[in-house]
Amino acid sequence: GRPGSGWAAREARRDRSAGGGAPPDPPGDMLCTASENLPWANIARLLLFQKTPEIYSVELSGTEDVGKTDTGDGKEKYRGLKDKRLELKKNHQKEELKKEVDLEDHKLSIKELERKYGTNIVTGLSSTQAAELLARNGPNALTPPKETPEIVKFPQADGAILCWIAYGIQYFNDKSSSLDSVYLGCVLALVVILTGIFAYYQEAKSTNIMASFSKMIPQQALVIRDSEKKTVPAEQLVVGDIVEIKGGDKIPADIRLLSTQGCKVDNSSLTGNLTPSLRTHDNPLEAENPWNKMSTSPVGTATGMVINTGDRTIIGQIASLASGVGHEKTPIAIEIEHFVHIVAGVAVSIGILFFIIAVSMKYYVLDSIIFLIGIIVANVPEGLLATVTVTLSLTAKRMAKKNCLVKNLEAVETLGSTSIICSDKTGTLTQNRMTVAHLWFDNQIFVADTSEDHSNQVFDQSSGTWASLSKIITLCNRAEFRPGQESVPIMKKVVVGDASETALLKFSEVILGDVMEIRKRNRKVAEIPFNSTNKFQLSIHETDDPSDKRFLMVMKGAPERVLEKCSTIMVNGQEQPLDDSTAEAFHTAYMELGGLGERVLGFCHLYLPADKFPETYSFDVDTVNFPTSNLCFVGLLSMIDPPRSTVPDAVTKCRSAGIKVIMVTGDHPITAKAIAKSVGIISANSETVEDIAKRLNIPVEQVSKRDAKAAVVTGMELKDMSPEQLDELLTDYSEIVFARTSPQQKLIIVEGCQRQDAVVAVTGDGVNDSPALKKADIGIAMGIAGSDAAKNAADMVLLDDNFASIVTGVEEGRLIFDNLKKTIAYTLTKNIAELCPFLIYIIAGLPLPIGTITILFIDLGTDIIPSIALAYEKAESDIMNRKPRHKKKDRLVNAPLAIYSYLHIGLMQALGAFVVYFTVYAQEGFRPSALINLRVEWEKDSVNDLEDSYGQEWTQYQRKYLEWTGYTAFFVGIMIQQIADLIIRKTRRNSIFQQGLFRNKVIWVGIASQIIIALILSYGLGSVSALNFTMLRPQYWFVAVPHAILIWVYDEVRKLFIRLYPGSWWDKNMYY
Amino acid sequence: MRRQLRSRRAPAFPYGYRYRLDDQDEVNQNYLADEEEEAEEEARVMVVHDLEEEEEEEEKEEEEEEEEEGQGQPTSNALWQKLQIVNEHLWDPEKRMSLARTGQSWRVMIRPFAHSLNFNFNVSEPDTWQHYVISLNGFLQGYNDSLQEEMNVDCPPGQYFIQDGNEDEDKKACQFKRSFLKNCSGLEDPTFGYSTGQPCILLKMNRIVGFRPELGDPVKVSCKVQRGDENDIRSINYYPESASFDLRYYPYYGKLTHVNYTSPLVAMHFTDVVKNQAVPVQCQLKGKGIINDVINDRFVGRVIFTLNIET
Repeated sequence: GRPGSGWAAREARRDRSAGGGAPPDPPGDMLCTASENLPWANIARLLLFQKTPEIYSVELSGTEDVGKTDTGDGKEKYRGLKDKRLELKKNHQKEELKKEVDLEDHKLSIKELERKYGTNIVTGLSSTQAAELLARNGPNALTPPKETPEIVKFPQADGAILCWIAYGIQYFNDKSSSLDSVYLGCVLALVVILTGIFAYYQEAKSTNIMASFSKMIPQQALVIRDSEKKTVPAEQLVVGDIVEIKGGDKIPADIRLLSTQGCKVDNSSLTGNLTPSLRTHDNPLEAENPWNKMSTSPVGTATGMVINTGDRTIIGQIASLASGVGHEKTPIAIEIEHFVHIVAGVAVSIGILFFIIAVSMKYYVLDSIIFLIGIIVANVPEGLLATVTVTLSLTAKRMAKKNCLVKNLEAVETLGSTSIICSDKTGTLTQNRMTVAHLWFDNQIFVADTSEDHSNQVFDQSSGTWASLSKIITLCNRAEFRPGQESVPIMKKVVVGDASETALLKFSEVILGDVMEIRKRNRKVAEIPFNSTNKFQLSIHETDDPSDKRFLMVMKGAPERVLEKCSTIMVNGQEQPLDDSTAEAFHTAYMELGGLGERVLGFCHLYLPADKFPETYSFDVDTVNFPTSNLCFVGLLSMIDPPRSTVPDAVTKCRSAGIKVIMVTGDHPITAKAIAKSVGIISANSETVEDIAKRLNIPVEQVSKRDAKAAVVTGMELKDMSPEQLDELLTDYSEIVFARTSPQQKLIIVEGCQRQDAVVAVTGDGVNDSPALKKADIGIAMGIAGSDAAKNAADMVLLDDNFASIVTGVEEGRLIFDNLKKTIAYTLTKNIAELCPFLIYIIAGLPLPIGTITILFIDLGTDIIPSIALAYEKAESDIMNRKPRHKKKDRLVNAPLAIYSYLHIGLMQALGAFVVYFTVYAQEGFRPSALINLRVEWEKDSVNDLEDSYGQEWTQYQRKYLEWTGYTAFFVGIMIQQIADLIIRKTRRNSIFQQGLFRNKVIWVGIASQIIIALILSYGLGSVSALNFTMLRPQYWFVAVPHAILIWVYDEVRKLFIRLYPGSWWDKNMYY
Repeated sequence: MRRQLRSRRAPAFPYGYRYRLDDQDEVNQNYLADEEEEAEEEARVMVVHDLEEEEEEEEKEEEEEEEEEGQGQPTSNALWQKLQIVNEHLWDPEKRMSLARTGQSWRVMIRPFAHSLNFNFNVSEPDTWQHYVISLNGFLQGYNDSLQEEMNVDCPPGQYFIQDGNEDEDKKACQFKRSFLKNCSGLEDPTFGYSTGQPCILLKMNRIVGFRPELGDPVKVSCKVQRGDENDIRSINYYPESASFDLRYYPYYGKLTHVNYTSPLVAMHFTDVVKNQAVPVQCQLKGKGIINDVINDRFVGRVIFTLNIET
């Protein structure tokens, strides 16, 4: 998590929108595919960052060792990462990593550094040196992750080639052979090319926007070269450059600090810890680990030497680790592949079967090849890929409106099949800001309102102790509101100050009113700021009571330190001596609040006697010429990053949807557990092994693991686990919290989940999360707080950083899966109606009932909009109340779907279309009986007086024309029945009337489009001979209508039996 | 099925005769097929009938609601009436249209039947023209004078032979005797002039149910060189001499009722064609409103063939 930066950006963003400036694009307005929108959020963030440089966020007290462990741990972690990589990736890469992770530079003296990098800290590099290095090492920029679009290819390309080969042979045999197969080949090739271009276009569009925007706002760095300060684009930094950093800058590269002035850095994007590490050192030579590129920086200024650039920075290495993690195929891609296998299997096996039949029936081999092509074309749903793409992008668009920005279209469905969510804590589950949660004074714990707007503070404010406490909170605080935000609600105001002080400032502003005014009335005369040795902060103020000439000294800090300095305690406004029992009460409260995972601060004050400290007294904070002991302890106040109010509900929804929510955080286990409990990741009545041990007062080892439902596992424990143990852990406990985890461990957890055949979603925002985001089946990055690396690695971006958005995403994902089933069932059905003509043509020798080009007009013409329309269908039942689908068992295309579509509706449709065909031929003079085995005569060019059933004689051209009329009739027959098919596909279980015939208006658009396209083809393009359509007599359009009705009735009966006899044979075999 | 139907509807004709006619058709159309293929053809015909019956069964079961005429089930009067309704569809007297084809669009075809419309033969090599003679002979079997006299009536020339009455009533057919073709009848010259390099080509109009040549004007045939020297043909004798299709042979009522209908013919006797070179000949129908210049369908109102007679 990165509390500081994201928060600041969000505040800034709100600020800007409210200020009347051009607001950032609301997600709803975003265009088309989700992926192209990503840069907007990204850029907006970057842009705002530069405009709000003074925002920072640094830990003030407590958890002091985090920063230090980070130094050592950091290396440990990356070594771990590297080891992981050893397994994952190729040799040379890992070697490179190993070499470069060893950052020893901070141990070197400046002289050694200068020697090592051939630079001078005063004059910097010369321009020529810099240019050389730049040329050698490349620009200081991360190599963007390469993304290759995965196009599902149908065997159309082969079809096209086959067609041309067939034409070639035909042409070789007979120079005047018809151009039909050439047309067909061209159309098929065109389909392949267009689909490819479509996918490429989508991909390129998003990449281009990304690229163009990152160029538009180049990061600048102030660098010393040739003894001069120069501003250069950060990309041109080279190793050995001396750079100056000032407050608000992003660190442009890995640098080694040379000198600082009150400089702090928030490295949390790298470490993933909630609490940003404090890196201030008065002595520059004591500077800790080099600062890392991308860390958001500091208040104050600093000078440093660049020691690593571009992909060789720590961040670069993590990023490349992330891109090295193989992206799993998305479940929907697997499903579509499975589906393609089925279709291709059916097509090829029927094709080859009939090729053999045709050859053994003494057809020419060439003819047989043409049959083969016809069968394959009839079987391959050419339009389906485009349909699926459009369907997915429609859903992506819909999700973007709900703040889920989908980068990778296929990820739309993945969320729906998700069975485990590994959620980061900070920013996703929590509000990503410290908030006052509890107060302790007068020996009592009070609860403060932690909701997003703080509106409802109900604790007792009448006590005198509260009056004193509130004064300390207000005065002993360096944070300030940025000016010019009068109209902004308090909770949304931008604050200059760190997280804790911000929390206190807002808390007091809400309760007491204008804090600035109070501070003005109590003028500050002296101040000792917080530092890590003192662990307290102190300031001395004049009082606002004109009659009281005393100074008021206020102090806050780590509770135990503060208590040490106190000799009295205030109870109900009265000072009382601090005895053992009150100290005991203090400790109980401190432990209790600490046990809630909250950060506790102690507050005390002292009125300096007016005689010793007259108004003119000059306080010196360096010599401390005033007392800092025997103060009066006033109270405790605890803060937490509170859960978002929407999260508990969302977690419950996930639960009921059968999704396991696992918390994975870099934070302290106690905090993690507390938050997990408050959001319901650990439900109220479940206990961990430790809880049970504590309750029963027995050692942890004696507790039966079966009794515990929940588990809190730290990174240290995880490190010692074998994969089998992890598997066991993941299966045994339904509620798991992982705390203090490293990026590598996140990866291990994700892999563990995936071993359970689970579809894993990972949420995260830091750079450290990016490998796990990439490894996950679906990586979800935070749009506001998320780092670019995380967003790059993710498949989806939550624009509002809100966990609840994931739930809507799951819902949409499940809906789209259901609807894709319907779409595919709809699309597959007509394949049989397209296939049967060829089979009957071959076996019974009828004149060809439908041509391949006509088939393409169904697949790519009339059927496209209706199949997309099915994506708009509403859910049949509460899809959030069922288990997530099993990756390997609940297939998109299962046997019942294929059988029902192919053999039930498909055959009925084929029959209906044949009726139309026979009707047309019969009315023209050829009765069905006369058509049998007519093929040879029919197709002979030399026969120009072929006799029909009425004794009439037909020339070859007349027959050809009649054949085209037959195509058109067959086409119309299929089209009419596809309307019925479309209507029945609206539901899989419910009756159409339960679903509502008119609720989905798009279906009717689809039906209209079908009819209109058919009318245009028949009457508009009937004269274009290459298309093989003719003007059909109006009455033929209605021949298939009874069949369409029959199909609809049949399906209603099917659904009725499914509803009547759930679990029966019928249900199992007829429900798809 | 078809046979049953016919025997019911045409009891006057001896079974054997009709059978022969049927076979004749097959022979005509597949004249060039060698004997092996012919045998296959026979086999195929048998298969056809089997399949046909199956097909009809299916139709009966599955497509009751469909307003298609079905097969004219002899057992079902209702279906039979449907057939009549559909028959009305076939011929629309007001628009003078049948089966979506206008009265002007007569297709023509020639005999002898060959796979191409190039008549190449060498006078002195009977093998090169023998199959033409066999084809013509076979084709004209149905026109034998005796047969025509036995089966058909001699109706008055120069006017339509209109037979009112029920749709399903059997219609009488007018005689077209082989002897009308004179020198091309094969009666005097059994080689139809091929042996002397004066080939006969028979021209017939494709049968269309209900059609009548426009406005009582008989349609005439006229042939000329399509491209090249007009004089390459020099002279053509037409039989019957009027070179026209007499009105009495129209309208055609369809083979279900008009069982013994024999298409009228015009024989073209190319008596003095230039030898040893390909002569493209175009024979056109001429008459009021007759269309004979459609590009897509090269058989509308005309037929183009080449004569290449070697000596």
